[in-house]
Amino acid sequence: MSVSTPPAASVRLDRLERIWKESPGLLGWLTTVDHKRIGILYFFTSLFFFGAGGVEALLIRTQLIGPNQSTLDPATFNEMMSTHGTTMIFFFVVPMSLGAFGNYLIPLMIGARDMAFPRLNALSYWIYLCAGTFLYVGVFSGNAPGAGWFNYVPLASKAYSPGPGIDFYALSLLFVGISTTLGAINAIVTIFKLRAPGMSLNRMPLFCFAFLAVSFALIFALPALSTALILLELERLLGFHFFIPAAGGAPILWQNLFWIFGHPEVYIIILPAFGIATSIIPTFVRRRMVAFPLVALAEILVAFLGFGVWAHHMFAVGLASATAIYFAAASLVIVIPSGIQLFAWITTIVTGTPRFKTPLLWIIGFIVLFILGGLSGVTFAAIPFDQQTTDTYYVVAHFHYVIFGAAVFPLLGGMYYWFPKVSGRMYYERWGQVSFWLTFVGTNITFFPMHILGLDGMPRRDYTYSPEMGWTGLNLIETLGAYLLALGLLSVFANLAVSLFRGERAGNDPWEGDTLEWSTTSPPPEYNYPVIPKVSSPYAMWDEEDREEDARNLERGRKTLEGGHETPASTAVDAEWDEILEMPSNSAWPPLVALAMTGVFAMVLLQQWVGAAIFVAILLATVGGFHLKEPEEA
Amino acid sequence: MSSVPRSMEAEGPGPVEVVDRERRTQASGWWGVALVIATEVTLFACLIATYFYLRFRTSEWPLGGIEKPSVTLPLLFTAMLVASSIPMFLSVRAAKGGAVRAAWWLLLLAAVVQATYLGLQIHLMVDDLNSFSPQANAYGSIYYALIATHHAHVAIGLAIDAWLLWKLAHGITNYRLIALRVAAFYWYFVSVAAIAVVLTQLYPSL
Amino acid sequence: MLVVAGIVFLGAVAMLLVGWFRRGTPGLPFFGESERANTGLVIAFGIAIPLVVLIALFIVSDLYVLNKTDAPEVSSTALTVTVVGHQWWWEARYPAGGVVTANEIHIPARTPVNLVARSVDVIHSFWVPELNRKIDMIPGQSNRIELYAEEPGVYRGQCAEFCGLQHAHMAFEVHAEPRRDFERWLSANGRPAHRATGALARQGQRYFMEDGCAACHTIAGTGAEGTVGPSLTHLAGRETIAADTLPNTPADLFRWIQNPQSVKPGAKMPGLGLGPRKFHAIVAYLTELE
Ligand code: HEA
Ligand code: HEA
Ligand code: HEC
Ligand code: CUA
Ligand SMILES: [Cu+2]
Repeated sequence: MSVSTPPAASVRLDRLERIWKESPGLLGWLTTVDHKRIGILYFFTSLFFFGAGGVEALLIRTQLIGPNQSTLDPATFNEMMSTHGTTMIFFFVVPMSLGAFGNYLIPLMIGARDMAFPRLNALSYWIYLCAGTFLYVGVFSGNAPGAGWFNYVPLASKAYSPGPGIDFYALSLLFVGISTTLGAINAIVTIFKLRAPGMSLNRMPLFCFAFLAVSFALIFALPALSTALILLELERLLGFHFFIPAAGGAPILWQNLFWIFGHPEVYIIILPAFGIATSIIPTFVRRRMVAFPLVALAEILVAFLGFGVWAHHMFAVGLASATAIYFAAASLVIVIPSGIQLFAWITTIVTGTPRFKTPLLWIIGFIVLFILGGLSGVTFAAIPFDQQTTDTYYVVAHFHYVIFGAAVFPLLGGMYYWFPKVSGRMYYERWGQVSFWLTFVGTNITFFPMHILGLDGMPRRDYTYSPEMGWTGLNLIETLGAYLLALGLLSVFANLAVSLFRGERAGNDPWEGDTLEWSTTSPPPEYNYPVIPKVSSPYAMWDEEDREEDARNLERGRKTLEGGHETPASTAVDAEWDEILEMPSNSAWPPLVALAMTGVFAMVLLQQWVGAAIFVAILLATVGGFHLKEPEEA
Repeated sequence: MSSVPRSMEAEGPGPVEVVDRERRTQASGWWGVALVIATEVTLFACLIATYFYLRFRTSEWPLGGIEKPSVTLPLLFTAMLVASSIPMFLSVRAAKGGAVRAAWWLLLLAAVVQATYLGLQIHLMVDDLNSFSPQANAYGSIYYALIATHHAHVAIGLAIDAWLLWKLAHGITNYRLIALRVAAFYWYFVSVAAIAVVLTQLYPSL
Repeated sequence: MLVVAGIVFLGAVAMLLVGWFRRGTPGLPFFGESERANTGLVIAFGIAIPLVVLIALFIVSDLYVLNKTDAPEVSSTALTVTVVGHQWWWEARYPAGGVVTANEIHIPARTPVNLVARSVDVIHSFWVPELNRKIDMIPGQSNRIELYAEEPGVYRGQCAEFCGLQHAHMAFEVHAEPRRDFERWLSANGRPAHRATGALARQGQRYFMEDGCAACHTIAGTGAEGTVGPSLTHLAGRETIAADTLPNTPADLFRWIQNPQSVKPGAKMPGLGLGPRKFHAIVAYLTELE
């Protein structure tokens, strides 16, 4: 806090400091329930998986650098390809956006002192860590899954994938699914209950709308995947029949279940990016978002409509044409909300007075790439065109534009944007801009030629190709592009890493930001806000008089809740002050519960049913322990 | 704002009742469980959808000459489980009204009924297992998968009952009242799921 | 369609550039600072225009083109061919004349052919880019698609659904021929295999029957009736082997049968290690199977 703090206030700050202090050192990190620390844990873990997925990607590209290469043998290629997709989707993007960004920022943006269920929050993280480790134990023990990230049966059935690779895949995804579900629930309750009194829904930042939509989408999408995975494991481990025609099963059943989850998932991946864009743009163009209500509506619509289009991934399986046509139409409808948001961003930028700092550059890069990727997505909705391009590199191009370009760019932009808040220091601006251009150019060199290759008939998931096909040149370019891209990303993280120690001090609000988090210190104290902030618009930070009132309240000791480990809870819609909740502090149970779960999954994998039963008992015990002390959360 | 209740400190019938009356939005715990139930409902929906997806791929159902399930007992038992919602409901009412003992006994009653239900159900399932196995074909597989999932939910519910009985035996707090209410909520969901599951299970005979 | 996409894209980027040039001045060009104008813009570009474009796209592609290229009524076509996907090769059956062959499909040009797609193991996808769209080959299900070649010629096709180790080497050729040539080909392939003539070839035939090949391969008219691998009855008539992986020359045949795993790692054919002498004989035999 700045030097000019009046005495009365600093006394209060010390008191809050003492009440909220977490236990120090490593133990503190293991038992933390502070959403900011958990967010940071999520950040580094998912960054690590990004690295892993990236290395796999580079191996893929190296194998494809020229015809008939033998960097990877066919088996290893398929494993790298499958693990790359699985890692990036389930262990990088989603945890990075919901786990790291959501966790760190939602409570700050709504003026709360923590998530609604701090220990559940920790539990989500530890489960995620264990699940990721679980998958990579498989990878490093030579049992990586090799049936693609959507793991179609019968290829993934025991008969054609006898090894445990697929079991590692299925179980780790079931496992991480638990974590994601808990995380989503936590986010929703936090947003409904813990908004600072006065922040009625229509005063909530769009960022939070995006995360609200995502969390609901997850709640209803994940069970479809879980069902599919459970059935698959029943078939693989216990000899049930769901997917093998011989015994009355149906291969297409898997595809339906997977994509009922899978398409919502892609919007789950993109929506947080939208949210980040809608919080970076206003700050840097110095004006409020155009068409705020439309954008909020669009964010929710995207998540909702996403459930009605899954079969557009299955246009070649021989659907009845009526069915196919319905899904094509639905896929076109979903363009509208995307279009709304897109033009809302563009108009905001055009009508504002932009400062082209690194974060905004990433967002503009995102807009460009999202349009390209989105448009190629729309072309699929023309069924005949899809039936030509499906399972070619044209699809790979589409989804890397929308996933890497549109979903990951804002994450990177967000890293720069909130870096001062999280670390208390500034990154190097020039360096940041250079890294952006490296990555942006690299991205297009890597993924644009894939459109052409796809239209030229190159199937995806081919471990090699023959020189006669004439695909050599473009593949070479793509691979070089990928190296450039990797270089760009490394310089991004190098910049942040160096700035962490050398960067100059940032102060509370280096950007003249629009949302609440900029009103507290950088990095924020354990209790986030000494005073429960006053909120009268979605751009709370731009309402100076409110912030001044907060300062006065601090001196007078109003709305400081310095009596205990407390945060206010308000009514769901109008956010009137409803009750005062006591927040739990450090707990060892979350990691223990996660470990017990790991035991269960490991035993199932090894088909040690007795062992599994024992670990279920242990799990129950730990869950009991979790609920021993009351009141913790309610 | 000093009027705002510190709900979590509320202990003993009186204060708990006040807090409960004054709270305008459901407690966080309630929201959490409501969302858990939302995912669970979706899970059952997917399983039941799977059942009918498999069913409508063949003319013969049940497959492989497995005889149709017998109707009476499963329906009877389900009715029994659904009935256990009544003591559950009354128990919550009593607890809100501060009649902790009554709440405890009603909860016990519900739990006993639910436990008996599970016992009988498992007994039925064992009978089925003697006549056809889940490995027999897709029908057997989805049949048992569906029922077992349901049983798992009942078992979890019983665990929650047990824990609650133990807690309530030591008097009531705001936290325990919320726990009791969400437990009841959970059981209502399990009852509804039970109906959906049993109707699917008996579908060939209906 | 790609053109439309291009226009939309350039339009949007142009707007961004405007944003850059006017970074100093707030408000829209022409409209100035008016929230209503801004919202209007969003609605116009974000809802109105897309609606028009999308509806047009939908009608053209999903209603018109789709049913124009739909699979034909079985009765309406002169010829039906059943193609069965195997890991990682293609079996082609001609009900007319009981012909069974592999990795090389002959069809008459300028005739709509009704193609039935099946699979015996995992999901594959039948795709001849120049002749029609993809159709997945799904175990326990048979899909249909029309195959129509305007011009005689050789069209390359390949498997488009990931099907395991050798998905990359699962290609084939479609030979579209004038009707007469096609009829000739069909009747020729209906006949049993030539009997071996040369001395070496006769030896080769014996090894083929005795040393294991026959367990997996069929050569009509001989004892060989295996069904794990492609029928070799008229192998010499084909232009490629191992699903378009190698040209069908004696040298490559030798390379293949001597060590399939080095050519196509994971292929479901083992190297039987019979030694060069026997393999040479077998190749001599196979090259006689016109
Ligand atoms: C979020 C999703 C995501 C992301 C970000 C990426 C990123 C990349 N992907 Fe991705 N890809 C998929 C999702 C993703 N991919 C999916 C779902 C598939 C389909 C799989 C399947 O078919 O089943 C796929 C398939 C796929 C293929 C096709 C494989 C095939 O069909 O045969 C290719 C080929 O070029 C490819 C390339 C790349 C490249 C070069 C990147 C690059 O952008 C990667 C760049 C990243 C790095 C270079 C890492 C940066 C370094 C660090 C972060 C280090 C920092 C810290 C530590 C190490 C601690 N991907
Ligand atoms: C972040 C993830 C993401 C996003 C946002 C999208 C967005 C869209 N996707 Fe994409 N998609 C994937 C991730 C994503 N996709 C992945 C991972 C796969 C492959 C899975 C696999 O096979 O491995 C895939 C595959 C995929 C397919 C199946 C292809 C195939 O396998 O055959 C289809 C088919 O319809 C499709 C459609 C769409 C559509 C219509 C959109 C729309 O939402 C796009 C809307 C956006 C725009 C259109 C641009 C902005 C709008 C305007 C500029 C307004 C004006 C526009 C018009 C007038 C057209 N996608
Ligand atoms: C265990 C089964 C098996 C045995 C034994 C076997 N093959 Fe094969 N063969 C196959 C399979 C499967 C293929 C298809 C491989 C592919 O293309 O992926 C094949 C392909 C071939 C082909 C290429 C056919 C084409 O049209 O592409 C030839 C020629 C051949 N085998 C010859 C032989 C000879 C000669 C022997 C004995 C020395 C032999 N095979 C033994 C299973 C077998
Ligand atoms: Cu067969 Cu890919
Ligand atoms: Cu999709």
